Amino acid sequence: MIGVVVVTHGNLGRELIRAAELIKGDLKGVAHVSVDATRGVEDLKKEMTTAIKKADKGEGVLILTDLFGGTPSNISLSFLKKDKVEVVTGVNLPMLLKMPDARAGMTLAEFADFIAEYGRKNIYLASAILNRKTEN
Amino acid sequence: MKRSLVRVDNRLVHGQILESWIPFLHASCIVVVNNEVAGDVFRESVIRMAVPRGIEVVFCGIDDFAQWQNPEKESDNHRHTIILFESIEDVIRAYRLGFRFEDLNVGNVQNNVGRTRKIGTRVHLSDSEIEDLMMLVRLGVDVEIRSVPRDRPVSFADAVGNTRGD
Repeated sequence: MIGVVVVTHGNLGRELIRAAELIKGDLKGVAHVSVDATRGVEDLKKEMTTAIKKADKGEGVLILTDLFGGTPSNISLSFLKKDKVEVVTGVNLPMLLKMPDARAGMTLAEFADFIAEYGRKNIYLASAILNRKTEN
Repeated sequence: MKRSLVRVDNRLVHGQILESWIPFLHASCIVVVNNEVAGDVFRESVIRMAVPRGIEVVFCGIDDFAQWQNPEKESDNHRHTIILFESIEDVIRAYRLGFRFEDLNVGNVQNNVGRTRKIGTRVHLSDSEIEDLMMLVRLGVDVEIRSVPRDRPVSFADAVGNTRGD
């Protein structure tokens, strides 16, 4: 199983996982790391190293982080390693919900690509959809 | 509004810069003055990708930067620039090499062994860093402690007076 680590500003990651579990039940192989102002980058890197090691069951680890260019993403990118660690930014709830069903049978690279695309596709402007429906 | 922000931030370009300072200042240029990042293709390209399109990003080692120019003096240039240093040590080095500025913003200095003074939640200072900043204050630099534009700026000189009184 591909491991997943959610790395975010504050407790966003923990709460996203909690919200996903409300809908989907217990999520296996998902950890989170909180980045806040009080902690140094080296300290955070140590926590990330531990979280990645723990999440890695041999098929690699996908890091989901919130904001490209933010500290969680900057730290995550330093762990990028081909076939071992991939990073996807802009984490959202649809991604977390899809993840358990999607990761079986995919390589890490495929899974990362799929989740990035899935997260992107699941943002809608509601009025645009409604207008489209009424036009049909 | 001041043209340039000279800032110490141990995280260099990160969320606070991208989402708070750039829009607040309407900055159109960021200068990252750092010996490790300048020339590191990976870190340079990550920062370039993170910064919104249309904003110029310049990477520069400390010595080169101090010799290169004094951006505050560019009177024909109406751009707002953010000049980032990773540490107080680095900005002091640039100052000693000739970089001059009227205001210094200290945004994030992470907690390390030896940094026993804490000002606000995000700035930790050692005795020698306090001395260095006091030197800047005596030389007429206005040193403020502020992570994001919406925070109330704290005058470094006042804050040090307060922590000494504790």
